[in-house]
Amino acid sequence: MNKASFERNWLRLLAIFAATLVLAACGGGTDGDAQGEAAEVYDNTEEVKAYYAANPEFFYFKTLADLPANLNWENGADLPEMGSPEAKKGGTEYRALQDFPRTLRTLGPDANGSFRPFLLDNVEMRIGWRHQDEFDFIPGLATEWAMGEDGRTVYVRLDPAARWSDGEPVTTDDFLFMFWFYRSPYVTAPWYNNFYSTMFTNITRYDDLTFSITSTAAKPDADSRVLELTPKPQHFYREVGEDFVDRYQWRVAPTTGAYTVRESDIKKGRSIALTRVKDWWARDKKHFRYRYNADRIQFSVIRDTEKMFEAFRRGDLDQNSLNLSEYWYDKLPDDAPEVQAGYIHKSVFHNQRPRPNMGLWINTSRPLLDDLNVRLGIHHATNFQLVIDSLFRGDYSRLQTAHEGFGEFSASGVKAREYDIDKALAYFAAAGFTERGSDGILVNAEGQRLAFTLSSGYQSMRDVLTILKEEAAKAGLEFRVEVLDSTAGWKKVQEKQHDIQLAGFSVFLEMYPRFWEHYHSDNAYDKAFLEDGSVNPARKLKTQTNNLETFAMPEVDALIERYRASPDKAEMIEIANELTRILHEHASYVPGFYQGFYRIGHWRWIQYPEFFNHKHSRSAGQLFVHWVDEDIKQETRDAMQSGKTFEPQIRVYDQWRD
Amino acid sequence: MFRFNPQTLKKLRRFRHIKRGYYSFLFLSVLLVILAFGELLVNSRALVVSYEGELYFPTYTNFHPGTDFGFDYSYEVNYRDLKRHFEEQDQGNWVIMPLVPYNPYENNASNGVFRPSPPSFESQHYLGTDTTSRDILARLFYGTRIALIFALAFTVWVYLIGISVGCAMGYFGGVFDLFFQRVIEIWSNIPFLYMVIIVFSVIPSSLSIPSRIGILLFIMVLFSWTGMTYNMRTETYKEKSRDYIAAARILGASDTRIVFRHILPNVLATLVTFMPFIVVSAISAITALDFLGFGLPPPTPSLGELLKQGTANLRTAPWIVSAAFTTLVVLLTVVTFIGEAVRESFDPKKFTVYR
Repeated sequence: MNKASFERNWLRLLAIFAATLVLAACGGGTDGDAQGEAAEVYDNTEEVKAYYAANPEFFYFKTLADLPANLNWENGADLPEMGSPEAKKGGTEYRALQDFPRTLRTLGPDANGSFRPFLLDNVEMRIGWRHQDEFDFIPGLATEWAMGEDGRTVYVRLDPAARWSDGEPVTTDDFLFMFWFYRSPYVTAPWYNNFYSTMFTNITRYDDLTFSITSTAAKPDADSRVLELTPKPQHFYREVGEDFVDRYQWRVAPTTGAYTVRESDIKKGRSIALTRVKDWWARDKKHFRYRYNADRIQFSVIRDTEKMFEAFRRGDLDQNSLNLSEYWYDKLPDDAPEVQAGYIHKSVFHNQRPRPNMGLWINTSRPLLDDLNVRLGIHHATNFQLVIDSLFRGDYSRLQTAHEGFGEFSASGVKAREYDIDKALAYFAAAGFTERGSDGILVNAEGQRLAFTLSSGYQSMRDVLTILKEEAAKAGLEFRVEVLDSTAGWKKVQEKQHDIQLAGFSVFLEMYPRFWEHYHSDNAYDKAFLEDGSVNPARKLKTQTNNLETFAMPEVDALIERYRASPDKAEMIEIANELTRILHEHASYVPGFYQGFYRIGHWRWIQYPEFFNHKHSRSAGQLFVHWVDEDIKQETRDAMQSGKTFEPQIRVYDQWRD
Repeated sequence: MFRFNPQTLKKLRRFRHIKRGYYSFLFLSVLLVILAFGELLVNSRALVVSYEGELYFPTYTNFHPGTDFGFDYSYEVNYRDLKRHFEEQDQGNWVIMPLVPYNPYENNASNGVFRPSPPSFESQHYLGTDTTSRDILARLFYGTRIALIFALAFTVWVYLIGISVGCAMGYFGGVFDLFFQRVIEIWSNIPFLYMVIIVFSVIPSSLSIPSRIGILLFIMVLFSWTGMTYNMRTETYKEKSRDYIAAARILGASDTRIVFRHILPNVLATLVTFMPFIVVSAISAITALDFLGFGLPPPTPSLGELLKQGTANLRTAPWIVSAAFTTLVVLLTVVTFIGEAVRESFDPKKFTVYR
């Protein structure tokens, strides 16, 4: 009886404890109170002015008389036109999105989504654009610009005609404001905060349409640093404050570009549309008059890629990417009825631009992977050629280094190591792995298996990893495959928790590759080396950086620092190639593959220029050189009814092929 | 531990008479036996190799490098090549391959391009290949095996925990019962699928595949045991208040004895009827998780993964989805038939609509 009552008491205690826990868990729900509809009008004009005044070393206010006299003004007017004179204006293009944009802001949380290019990157005007054949700059918002004698200041004269889509003129003040905006803590975008705080040293206002911006370093491409900036409309962002993220969540900013989103076209979760700005100010400018042709671009949300493809085949969508070989060869083969009847055209375009460095990033801070012989063995045990030949059907190409497509900067002559079981076994043997275990995987004298985790944040790379695994096993190497979703995969490498990661960083159309992010010891360890250059025994891994190989070498640091400081293109080329050779010797990155082209299927009413697209274009739609021909659309619809067919069109544009 | 009472034996006899369920049960048992020795039927390793007068049985042994049989490579010999090689040489060496000479992991493309190829007897891909040229029959076979083992292990664990907790709740009652009722109410309101997805996505992959499957099982059990407890609790309450329990108690029987000798055998009927349905739900859950990409780690063969591939290639490779779908339907139907039969034979009313 005693025992029973003791148990009862004990249980009562337990029950009380549990009840407390439950109550505590419920208590947390009140602090997330909504701030109410942001009805309160807020004006930051004074705050912005005060910021300019507080940073006189950055924001200079001068007059036109102070403008240096001997500037050599350029305007890029001689560069050839872009697009085709045959382009027809008008019509509606139908496209699909996998996800409805989570915000219409172009900055702050969730802003970096797949819809942002249509709001900002591919649409909004910059001071100047790189011509997509010539690499030089064409005028955008500027009529002309000049490089200062210091090699890092760019003087800009804005086009007096430049207008925001709400009719307001674009002025120097929008550029001053841009710096305040991007540096502001309100926008909760640390990368931009940092970039706009460290890459530029000042902006000088001469008058409403004339200003200069100075970047930190005199680099051969200092002009691009300034010319590729986009202003921010001060009159629209007047209410930016603490609640920027919520207040601007669904507001459409005025644009200087050809397309804007109308309030009435936002159907959350379902569809959104771009509409051509009425009387767009740049519609007759030389490099823009044959681009941005469709009047409307209608995006529906279709979450499943297969469904998207079926919608395209039905004609509900106008174009569809056929980059994957299974789409190009199997799902829409050349002998598909719609292709044979000439209703759907297939086009392949070989482009030239820096290539994403898709490959295996080996974390050299992990046990065994710090051994050069093991890494060399992994290189020879990784059969990317089979992946290219069998999975991508020979269409993709092997990357030779992590820095491909930068012209002279990629001319080191380094070749990726080939798949060779004997060489791999020899290297593994040199590292002490001589015996095969019962399942064929190598073991060393201590009984340690030669096994590493091979992870990736791309679901689509699942098959690639499986093939690499099977092939590596032949050389006695085990890859434990781990396919994560993209967030988890990214987190893993940012915390340097990976052994080997299949990943690729997207690269921009730039003059030269970046090394600091991936190879400087600052990004590998906190204080990697002591004063005398020896390894700091107490060094700690540095997380949240892109040095995925935990690569740290004093001589490479020195080279990278020289490279970053050099204003001389020839010297930079030399260093870049030297670095590439050192990195190749170090063997901590196995170059994977790249796609030297893009290919799409499009209904015949979507017309492209004769040359299809420009040399550096990333995708068919990026530059908006295509147009919708509503007459042909009607003709095609009628033909499909009556059974009339056209000449099949399967075109390969290889004028820029490597 | 405990003997079946005559009533239970009678129920088992009744089960034998329900033909549909009984034959389903036989079918599933035979299937399980076949699956257990699957390596002898579906495997890329040969059953028997006779090389220079010596016999090799590589199915369950260490791997044989190519050099063992006169090739010049040190990785595992390709027995299909070996068979062709021996036939060409014609020196009295021979190889006997299993019925399906492929394992579920190898990419075997006839023309060097990995793509789905239709069923063909000539290439011995009896159900065709999947998008990376792996044999579908082999993947189905081992996928089914893993799903069934997984489901059975799942059922065993759910039962163990469910019975212990439910029985304790019913038997001890009072505060213990109240407390666990609340715990279960809260616990069972946590959305199961989401939790599995969230928890499993943070499991480190440095673990081997079997242990990752083990963890998946653990998480699924963790969020599924609650369903059993309520039935068990009511049943125990009911039995506990019967006279024979009171009699046993008066005679001085201990709690353990009462639970194991008296209560458990008497509530068995209820427990058994649920079992097939739990198996069904486990198979569906694991397939659904795989379909969503959160289940068994790749490249483990699984039904869900095949279904996913199949739906993505409905037009170009219908054989993928049809094979996976048929297997799943047959499997679930058979288990459900067994469940129906068990339920009926344990029904105290003999004449019901289920005859």
